[in-house]
Amino acid sequence: MFNFLNIGNFFVLLNKVSKSIKIIFVPVIIISLVFALYLSPKDYIQGDTVRIMYVHVPSSWIALGCFSSISFLIILNFIFKIKNALIIFKSLAPIGLSFCLISIVTGSIWGQPTWGTFWAWDARLTSMLVLLFFYLLIIFSYKFIKDQNFSSKICAVISVFGLINLFIVKYSVDFWSTLHQPASVNIFGETSVHKSMLLPLSFMLLGFLLYCALIFLMKYRTEIIRMKKKGLKRL
Amino acid sequence: MNLNILIMNGYGLYVWSAFIFTFLVCLILFLKTKKSLNKVEKDFHEEVKKLSAEQVKTLKKRKISKEILNPQVKIK
Repeated sequence: MFNFLNIGNFFVLLNKVSKSIKIIFVPVIIISLVFALYLSPKDYIQGDTVRIMYVHVPSSWIALGCFSSISFLIILNFIFKIKNALIIFKSLAPIGLSFCLISIVTGSIWGQPTWGTFWAWDARLTSMLVLLFFYLLIIFSYKFIKDQNFSSKICAVISVFGLINLFIVKYSVDFWSTLHQPASVNIFGETSVHKSMLLPLSFMLLGFLLYCALIFLMKYRTEIIRMKKKGLKRL
Repeated sequence: MNLNILIMNGYGLYVWSAFIFTFLVCLILFLKTKKSLNKVEKDFHEEVKKLSAEQVKTLKKRKISKEILNPQVKIK
């Protein structure tokens, strides 16, 4: 059932895809920057500040996506004791944390010219800040708790609360009256962003995803080598 | 040179600082990850050097260890 999660198969497969990622990554980032900073139109109300959207929105999506994946893997590891799930979530956590930080800071920078303030304690902003703390809690739990069983229990509890927070992040703009606007891009519903802005946004998302894949591969390789180094003593 | 790409109608400071912050965080994460990978790989190779020929032979039979020891496969 979890053959794909077999460490050996996964490691070999990831090494194969890394080359292709490296080839695509640089051109995609250059194209998305040209689109985001030069070719895409400015907003009729927000003017050029709308360009911040091209880094803020993909970062937020990645931060949320990473946390969902991490929570799923932590729970999977807690129930089935799959070692690879543990290695994957350890490799994903710093990526999610970085993008969560980027999302909060760029959102704050965007807030000053549009709302007149860098920060407001509204539901969306606060729940994103809480998400950042959940990321930190998970990272500290597996770094500083030496007993792996206890650490995975703690991580499972944190991820369950984190999932509740994810739900709050997603629906905060619908449940409460917030400074933050409601979602403009919907996969299953109507998207209110014009195609001329949606295209650079998609390119930037692709660029960020490729970057995440690259970092993930390096982190995953680091974790595997660390594990194998411990095993050398048993040879 | 079209200076408006820098000034962005007065919003340049906000736009550029958001982009620079993003790429700075990404660069720091990349360099930190690369550094720790290099260190771990170096340590692993040093540990392997200490092994006997028989142990290295056994190690190379293993799928993952073979991939790690293969110098052509480097994710950097």
